[in-house]
Amino acid sequence: MAHSLSPECTPLKHEYDSCFNAWFEGYLEPALSASAASEERRAYSKRKAEEYENTCGKIWVKYRDCVQKAVKDRGLDDLLNQARQENPLKEPPPPPMKEATS
Amino acid sequence: MRFFSQSFSYDEPWSIVSLAYFLRYPNPHAAHVISCDVVDRTITQAGTLVTTRLILKKGSLPRWAPEGIIPRSEAWVIEESEVDPYGQVLRCSSRNLEHVKILSARESVLLKPGHDGQTLQRTDVSIVSGFGWGLTKRIEQYGLQKFKSNIQKSRDGLKVIVELTRQSRQSMTMGGSPGGGFHASESPKEYRDAEASPLRADSPSQSITITIWNKVSSWSRFRPA
Repeated sequence: MAHSLSPECTPLKHEYDSCFNAWFEGYLEPALSASAASEERRAYSKRKAEEYENTCGKIWVKYRDCVQKAVKDRGLDDLLNQARQENPLKEPPPPPMKEATS
Repeated sequence: MRFFSQSFSYDEPWSIVSLAYFLRYPNPHAAHVISCDVVDRTITQAGTLVTTRLILKKGSLPRWAPEGIIPRSEAWVIEESEVDPYGQVLRCSSRNLEHVKILSARESVLLKPGHDGQTLQRTDVSIVSGFGWGLTKRIEQYGLQKFKSNIQKSRDGLKVIVELTRQSRQSMTMGGSPGGGFHASESPKEYRDAEASPLRADSPSQSITITIWNKVSSWSRFRPA
């Protein structure tokens, strides 16, 4: 497993990652048919979210707090918050494949 | 600005490739990754999983780069991803956080199911430099070349993890022990910790990831140049 940016967060990170990955494996293969009604899907996804919260919620808060402090200590918080506001996943896909110069 | 895109496919199904994508650091082809942290993670109303990771990578500068323009050769990268297990789509976008005036590189990856249980990956890269001083084009060209040569490396790295995930799962469905499903043709040195798992696997889903970590934990000590 990769290290955390701060050595004191690494044990928390490993514990959190183990928990998350075990949950994530099941999350990637929903026990739902493709034709499931949207209501059924909503209920299922709510159960999955609760399952995550119940099993990994506590260790996540500990790990997140540790990383947030480490990010702040290194003066990276402004940079990170600024970058996150851009939210690239909401932007349209990049232009088609062609070489252009500015 | 320069663009580059590439598509290829894996023989494994989407759920395995997507799991491997999240587990890909460390791997023997990613020795440049120093740290990787989840800074935010939420499950949306629609049931998708949105994750923000902060990754520190070792960088290298071209010989002609003006001295002192970048104080150290490490780069913070922000990676934002969204996974939709119902529609089977994984989208991931990453870019450098600092020195974006000199070089801003953005990589977007899309994973979705292809034909016959395969998984398609599309990667789009855009590179912009606002450096000026007659170096803009040269910096952009350098960034593009770097990406082109690294894309094979990151594909190889993901393939290793995909293969480990597939094999672990196969040995599980065949009722084998979690550590026992690996071919003899693999280098035994790299996998020597596989059988010595300190953790007890209580469910199949736990043991797959534990098996992979036992492999990769040995790579963190075994780093090819």
